[in-house]
Amino acid sequence: MRVRTRGLAIAAVAGGVSIAALTLLRGQGGRLGGTRNGRGRLGGTRNGRGRLRVQRGLATLRLAARGGARYASHAPRLFTSAGEHRQQLRNDLALQTAEDVASTLGAMKGVLMKLGQMASYVDNGLAPAARRTLSRLQDSVPPMSPELAAQVVTEELGLPPEQAFATWDPEPIAAASIGQVHRAITHDGRAVAVKVQYPGIAETIEADLGNVGLLRRMLKISAPQQDVDALLAELRERITEELDYNREARNQQLFARFYDGHPTINVPAVVAELSTRRVITSDLADGARFAELATWSQAERDLAAETIYRFVFRSLYQAHAFNGDPHPGNYLFHGGGRVTFLDFGLVKHYSTEELRPLVAMVKHLCVENDPEAFRRAMEDAGFLMPGAPLPTDMIVEHMALFYDTVRERGPRTMTGDYASAVTRRFFDFRSPLAEYVQIPRSYVVLQRINLGLFALLGELSATADWRCIAEEIWPFIQGPPCTPMGAAEAAWRMRKSAASSQERSA
Amino acid sequence: MSADPYATAAGLVERSAAAYAAAVPEHPADDGFFGPASVTWRVTTDLSAPVAGLRSLLMQALHPLAMAGVDQHSNWRLDPVGRLAATSAYEATVTFGDRASASRVAQQVQKIHTRVRGTDTVTGQPYAASDPALLLWVHVALVDSALAASRLFGASLPDAGADAYVAEMRIAAELLGVPREIIPASAAALDEYVARVRPELQCTPAAAESMSYLLDPPGLDEDIAELWQDIRDAAIIALPGWARELYGYPDPGPLTAGRRTEIRQTLGVLDALFMGEPGVLEARQRLTLRMRSAGKA
Repeated sequence: MRVRTRGLAIAAVAGGVSIAALTLLRGQGGRLGGTRNGRGRLGGTRNGRGRLRVQRGLATLRLAARGGARYASHAPRLFTSAGEHRQQLRNDLALQTAEDVASTLGAMKGVLMKLGQMASYVDNGLAPAARRTLSRLQDSVPPMSPELAAQVVTEELGLPPEQAFATWDPEPIAAASIGQVHRAITHDGRAVAVKVQYPGIAETIEADLGNVGLLRRMLKISAPQQDVDALLAELRERITEELDYNREARNQQLFARFYDGHPTINVPAVVAELSTRRVITSDLADGARFAELATWSQAERDLAAETIYRFVFRSLYQAHAFNGDPHPGNYLFHGGGRVTFLDFGLVKHYSTEELRPLVAMVKHLCVENDPEAFRRAMEDAGFLMPGAPLPTDMIVEHMALFYDTVRERGPRTMTGDYASAVTRRFFDFRSPLAEYVQIPRSYVVLQRINLGLFALLGELSATADWRCIAEEIWPFIQGPPCTPMGAAEAAWRMRKSAASSQERSA
Repeated sequence: MSADPYATAAGLVERSAAAYAAAVPEHPADDGFFGPASVTWRVTTDLSAPVAGLRSLLMQALHPLAMAGVDQHSNWRLDPVGRLAATSAYEATVTFGDRASASRVAQQVQKIHTRVRGTDTVTGQPYAASDPALLLWVHVALVDSALAASRLFGASLPDAGADAYVAEMRIAAELLGVPREIIPASAAALDEYVARVRPELQCTPAAAESMSYLLDPPGLDEDIAELWQDIRDAAIIALPGWARELYGYPDPGPLTAGRRTEIRQTLGVLDALFMGEPGVLEARQRLTLRMRSAGKA
């Protein structure tokens, strides 16, 4: 948690680029382009600029423009997120041909939809009208007809789905990122979920991502220290990766192996021989959706939250990988804290060097209580401009909110108010820090996740001793288990390392 | 030219969208004058439609008498967006509405037309909006523009689609009182007609004024304004060379594949914005379902 918190914090600090990222995705303002004939309200004072930046954000999608509400002032209501509505698949409107796909998702619309999905995890503060718009954009994409889906499977696997699988359900069970999910049973009797990508979509989106001019205008950020190109590059990279199911399959398999045997974390294993660039086959999982979890007892919700928390930070600190999409649609809940994690289309890998300054920040702020060292770590990470004319205690005070749940031991409840405060501070362009902070490109994705995670846990009103759990995971502490789940996880880790040393000696 | 300040073009997307959504019927009594299997529905629902609309206004304005009628009788300076939205609503109702709705709005327009008459100050000629010759020019400019925009920026039409479209669209002119026998029924006849009218066309001060407003509308919402530049360029690219010369627009040169793609991307963004407005997605879905089932029949 701590770590995560830290990510957030960073984000917050980084008012700059990251804001760009988020903002641009979530923005309030109805502005697509940049300055035009000097008409743009671009210039202005520093204070003004921040506000504008926000207003401008997802202008393209009209995210917030209409509501006029300042997103940050809204209570975080995590998700009736955009994507969930797609569960109601409009089979009557099903796309029958590749041309249908092109007319629905070509000409930038697929890209906008992806940007919308990436933004949806932070839609807690969006004005209702904005949320509706995003959601409509996703609603506007119907599923493939059974024939079209079968055609893609045939092209990818070399056999029609009825032959590639022992049983094939031609009706999709869910919409997925740029694709849809079908149930099937393999010839050796495994029940599987088969994700099938829309035909031609990868090429279309790649071509549309090439229109940097239009994307820049859509995402335009005025502040000079904000690196729109870096941001765009990050978005392009993420979207491009997501189009490559081979990559997603590798990532999912990596997580599945890493968490193999874990007491509460389940990652469906990939069936490699039935997975290709446009098809992923993995074990079928069934469980309660997030909306249902919200109706379970608080004890169950706390356990589920603990699992998600452990998953996020264990993955980051031990596997050096972040699964970037905290969308509530990406979890299935089984009770007793057991959670299945779905969708590994947005995974970011980190090197030890990249993680080091993040670790240093949390350590200096939360454990060693050394403000100057914390500040230096922020500078090392690239979050804070070296030599910024700001007193260190001001920086610490600003950042501390992001680490609030892990600064001290003891049970803490994640609340919507806390998530909201984090969001507000993250987007506080009026802060004197705003001028001197930015988010390095490789950390941009962390901010998304962080904001999403807090909102998710806040939605569950989850209580735990987050600090204690974080200490189990922080690489510089690796503390003893402090919950029953922690004990079970420790046992799992022991088994895991025993198995691997056995392997080594074998 | 008016000395009055113009109203701003704010709200263009919202108001056009509202007009469009309301014009696509939920429970039509019949398939209207075109129907879901028509080429007209394909052309009208094409991504290139905004380019067609703008090019069509540019063409229509070149007829001094047609322009004079708008200039002297329309409130476009006071409410340009309202005027455009009303036009979109009219076209959508005639195209997608059932016969009764289409006939009703056409009668309303005819009624308005009876009051629109006067003398053009440039040519000194009298004009009347109900004059079939003027109505025919307005009609042909629209049909020609839809074909040009769709050819350059739209999805390809089936073989003989252009002829079918021109023939189908005759009913739209008839509804406003143009005798069927003088309405071009094929793409070739359409071209001939344009060539015949061409000597009468010119860029009057009123045309120059209204079109320069339209190409760069003040107060357009900023997000739309960015996109509008591409739409404007596309409309100018789609104009015949002689029409560009009349306006004095520079020759944009040949349309490269890259530029075409960019314009289509802009059209896609505009379309996504449009779809974000209340009722538009549902209206689209109603049309898609009807077109699909007509395609299967």
